[in-house]
Amino acid sequence: MTDRTTTWTTPQLWAGRIAILIVFFFLWERAAASKFIDPILIGRPSGIAAYLWAEIFITGSLIKDLGWTMLGTILAFLLGSACGILVGMVFVTRPTVEALLSLILMALNAMPRIALAPLFLIWFGLGLGSKIAIGFSLTFFIVLSSTVAGGRGVNPDHITLARTLGASEEQIFRKFVLPSAVPVIFNGLRLGLIFALLGVVGGEIIASEHGLGQTLTVLAASFKTSGVFAVIILLALVGVCITWGMTWLENHLLRWR
Amino acid sequence: MSDRAPGTIARNGTSVPATGRHRGSVHIHRVSVSFAHLLVVDDVSLTVDQGEFVSIVGPSGCGKTTLLNFAAGLLPADVIRGTYLVGGKPPESGNRDIAYMLARDALCPWRTALENAELGAEIRAVPPPERRQRALDLLDKVGLKGFEHAYPKALSQGMRQRVALARTFSLDAPILLMDEPFGALDAQTKLQLEDVLLSLWQRERRTVVFVTHDLSEAVSMSDRVVVMSARPGRVIADVKITLGRPRSVRALQKDPAYHELYSHVWTKLEEGLAP
Repeated sequence: MTDRTTTWTTPQLWAGRIAILIVFFFLWERAAASKFIDPILIGRPSGIAAYLWAEIFITGSLIKDLGWTMLGTILAFLLGSACGILVGMVFVTRPTVEALLSLILMALNAMPRIALAPLFLIWFGLGLGSKIAIGFSLTFFIVLSSTVAGGRGVNPDHITLARTLGASEEQIFRKFVLPSAVPVIFNGLRLGLIFALLGVVGGEIIASEHGLGQTLTVLAASFKTSGVFAVIILLALVGVCITWGMTWLENHLLRWR
Repeated sequence: MSDRAPGTIARNGTSVPATGRHRGSVHIHRVSVSFAHLLVVDDVSLTVDQGEFVSIVGPSGCGKTTLLNFAAGLLPADVIRGTYLVGGKPPESGNRDIAYMLARDALCPWRTALENAELGAEIRAVPPPERRQRALDLLDKVGLKGFEHAYPKALSQGMRQRVALARTFSLDAPILLMDEPFGALDAQTKLQLEDVLLSLWQRERRTVVFVTHDLSEAVSMSDRVVVMSARPGRVIADVKITLGRPRSVRALQKDPAYHELYSHVWTKLEEGLAP
């Protein structure tokens, strides 16, 4: 985060970031309190804080919904990325299969997923299944295309070297193609996880029994704007945590980069 | 003249198991290569004996790399006419008698220097303790002691090519094929690495076929320099380099005998380029 040249230290940067947020929320609160903008439209930071406090620490309902959303996201991500990597690897090693299927898959991927959501609801029900299906349908294609790109990006010198050494196809794949694809696959995974979250929340907004998306619709329908903002802030925090977590994992697993 | 060297160590050095006297030789007889009707190599005959260090020089596109790639089994058999024997056998990819080194280091960035040095032996299924020992020994010999666990991104170009040298020499192949291995290095680093290569070669005296377009490199390291013409490549001179062994490439830079040979080879090369 600090690789461009900045003379500020990390604590200074954090102090700066927090200061910006405090000013922002202060102005927001003032604007709402003075009715400069109607709080029905923008909520109030104090209302957001009160909502978060009540629903996290007193009733615990937000935590439960967050749990549902995350469960759906993680399952959609795991299934989608596992299938994406698997199919991607088949494409990389079997060009005929790719030539056969890639166009069909491209057409499938071009379908607007949110428009398919009602179908998924009919097929998989109101519960977790339909949310996983939507998340899966987004993650799968992202991870698939990054896997194919990564598998193609192998250094031709490595292949020449491998052939002079007498490496088998299996050795070439395991020792050269796969490891050189990993960083590109990782970018796909990072994006895939965010999109899994997006798909699951989107599905919950359309129709659901649980989850943050469902809470969001209920709050919006009853004009509890502060509550809506609270859920949005919570989702943003989840997104940041996901990105951080993936970056940490990447730096940890790909130390050689 | 290489007989003058004190190194009687080596013609059949212990580390190169000699099964028959052809194992370390390369024999090219009346070979022509054409790609889609384009004649690249025209009627070349050349024999490299076991333990000989032979350089092939010539302008770009003269087919020198093609000859080398063919020996490594990287080209289909149907592009050539003539007889081509590597270690007494027709070329095939994955021939264990061969170690190939490319112009670029081709290190795997996800492997440490040690793991990269081990790579060739790993693919050729040498048992782990043995290949590790060899790789460690060679990293030491190429001057990378202390960098065994560094990843390539932390190494300079010269150091990376040293790792590639270690990877090449840690194979027990009697024939080393090198395609401009120092072509991408700056002049100073190049001289250093040429000396590293000579010192490694001096220990075991394996056969080296060294392709380069750098005449000074060819003259300073080789027993013989084969000069090829512009495309279609023909052999226009085969010059014996009568400098003693062991040599130091850096010391040779001030040696008049070296410069004399250099200008002799240069004249031959110019004759070949003349229309």
